[in-house]
Amino acid sequence: MATGFLSASSAVIIIPIITLALGFLIGYLAQRSGFCSIGGWRDLFMFKHTRLFFGYMALIAGGILGYFIFWLIIPAAFPGFYWAITAETPLTPIPGAPPNLEILSYIVLAIIGGFGMGIVGVLLGGCPLRQIVMSSEGNLKSVFFVLGLIVGAIIFHSITIEIVWLIMP
Amino acid sequence: MEKDNTKKSFLRIIRVPAFLGVLIGVLSALVQALIISAGGPEAYGFCVACHTRDLTNAIVNAFADGSLGLAGISATTPVLTIIGVIIGGYIAAKRKKEFKIKKGSILSYLLYFLGGIAVLNFALLVGACPYRLALRFAYGDLVALIGMLSIAGGVAVGVSLLLYAMKRGWM
Repeated sequence: MATGFLSASSAVIIIPIITLALGFLIGYLAQRSGFCSIGGWRDLFMFKHTRLFFGYMALIAGGILGYFIFWLIIPAAFPGFYWAITAETPLTPIPGAPPNLEILSYIVLAIIGGFGMGIVGVLLGGCPLRQIVMSSEGNLKSVFFVLGLIVGAIIFHSITIEIVWLIMP
Repeated sequence: MEKDNTKKSFLRIIRVPAFLGVLIGVLSALVQALIISAGGPEAYGFCVACHTRDLTNAIVNAFADGSLGLAGISATTPVLTIIGVIIGGYIAAKRKKEFKIKKGSILSYLLYFLGGIAVLNFALLVGACPYRLALRFAYGDLVALIGMLSIAGGVAVGVSLLLYAMKRGWM
């Protein structure tokens, strides 16, 4: 069981507050900077502009730095870090995808899922974060996108995931 | 005078996406260090798709007595990142007078709605939105790298479609 700085009982109270605060910070700064991962790829490919792309790369760099530093401070909070080295099967993804599938299935799902996100995202003008921020700016089309995200969550866990378990080994 | 200049440069750096990028990366690690005792998968500090799924399914489960899937940590306590993003974006837009209702056609509303459903389903197939993929990659997950490159591939195809449509005068 992973343990962080806070015990489970205090974490349960802190989590709504801290996630709300983190979301607020990200939402505010994302509106100011136009932060968008898919926009980053798009601007890179279409115009060779790197401003948004560096934003995305900075996230990776910050993550690597942050995980490494905090892992040094409190390794118990980061089970399986560095995943490619210490996990039992280095090519399984960190939990989040439908569980208990073969490695090959995860790779196939990653390709399908990633590709789908990329193509739909760029045609509609942004990654989910950017769409949420645009709906906060008053863009009604993005509001419908966010509604789609919400309905999509229900659809995924009733229909899509059943299909995945049916097809994928 | 000095203080004014430092304030100005700070306000300018906020508009640089890389600043937010590093912030998200480091803060997500910190958040995990703080709260992982309550459960939840690793590399879960920030993810638009997963946190939206958690909030939606938690509410649906509560009201309709359902059993939609949730991440471990959300079974115990609400994860409110998305609410924060909506409020934060709104306040930023209002403060800088960039808030403006922009309407679209009914068709565009439908397209964006279906797009939202599609993007979330694609995201949960791989188990993350682009930002959690970046976090997972930072954590050492190589499948996440495959996911990120696939997103780039999808964007490349989409960009070609956009350029083709623009050349043909469709848009």
